[in-house]
Amino acid sequence: MHMSSMDHLILVLLSMVVAFLPRFIPLRIFSTREIPQWFNEWMKYVPVSLFTALVVKDIFINTKDYSFIGLGYLAKIVAAVIVIGVAYRSRSMGLSVVFGLIAVALLALVLPI
Amino acid sequence: MENVKPRWREVLDISMPLCLSYIPIGLACGILLHAAGFSWILTTLVSLLVFSGGAQFMIASMLVANAPMHTILIMLFFLELRYALLGSSLSQYMRGTSKKFLYLFAASLNDENYAVNYLKFATDKGWTPKDALMVEHYSLLFWTGANLIGSLIGNMININLDIVDFALTALFLYMIVMQIKNVLTIFISLLSAVLAIIAMVLIKSTMGLVVATLLASLVGFMVEDYLVKHGHEKGFLLKKIKPKASRKVISKSGE
Repeated sequence: MHMSSMDHLILVLLSMVVAFLPRFIPLRIFSTREIPQWFNEWMKYVPVSLFTALVVKDIFINTKDYSFIGLGYLAKIVAAVIVIGVAYRSRSMGLSVVFGLIAVALLALVLPI
Repeated sequence: MENVKPRWREVLDISMPLCLSYIPIGLACGILLHAAGFSWILTTLVSLLVFSGGAQFMIASMLVANAPMHTILIMLFFLELRYALLGSSLSQYMRGTSKKFLYLFAASLNDENYAVNYLKFATDKGWTPKDALMVEHYSLLFWTGANLIGSLIGNMININLDIVDFALTALFLYMIVMQIKNVLTIFISLLSAVLAIIAMVLIKSTMGLVVATLLASLVGFMVEDYLVKHGHEKGFLLKKIKPKASRKVISKSGE
């Protein structure tokens, strides 16, 4: 589906709503009430599960036909290992991203990306 | 006399490491949004209104892949759902603020400024909701500026988008590493990886991500619940992992 600038504007405005509600509703409710324990316990595992799934999509899945490509994007896989090491040692988001970009750019010269 | 800095300068100093780290990611994001067909005005608007690296990269890559609008919005919702956790863990510090303040605070809440604010609220008695909002606005300013410049650079030079796109992968990898608290979280991460591959190959769409996220997080929740109820809190799976960090650690968890 091809989108016009008007579609893009609508997408941005709807994205704002979708991004705002999960940030606002719990903040509003729980600034006057206690947080239910089960909700916190469950939400604890949502970020790690979602981020992993997204990384897997980026480095193991060909999104044209959703096939598993194994080691097809080897440059990204090696760069991902480097990023994990940098993130673990430095705890810095900026360093992790910069090292990741440099690593993938250099690795792409010799490995498939 | 030199030691007396105005409050906005003190808060700016605290926000600076965060603001600087937004520059490379914001540039990459602006370049990708430009490639997805966003004008610099739309890129600025989405940075101000959505203010989420993950969400903006996702909008860009899904537009390039010609995904329909409702699919993009469903993925965004799940991606942004994690802010529910961040919001609820900060809520105890927001007692006594007005509704208008909460609107403003929620609108520019984000993973990274959350980490800074959570740490300050937990350790600094003098840290006020107003200071926290200021941190959010500084980071918003740097993020939007970097996106705008990225959008304009994207106009001028030709960059391999597969490489720029890796900025998002690196960002998520960093956030995974920051989420690892015990052996169980590592297992849940691996489980989610396997489930994501199976679900995406079977469903042939990004809905596979949603399925994997829901299943893996529920398994994590149930396993932890079981272990705690049976007195295994100090066991192998739930024992805390202490990273050997070379810099000061900012906890991102809601503990």
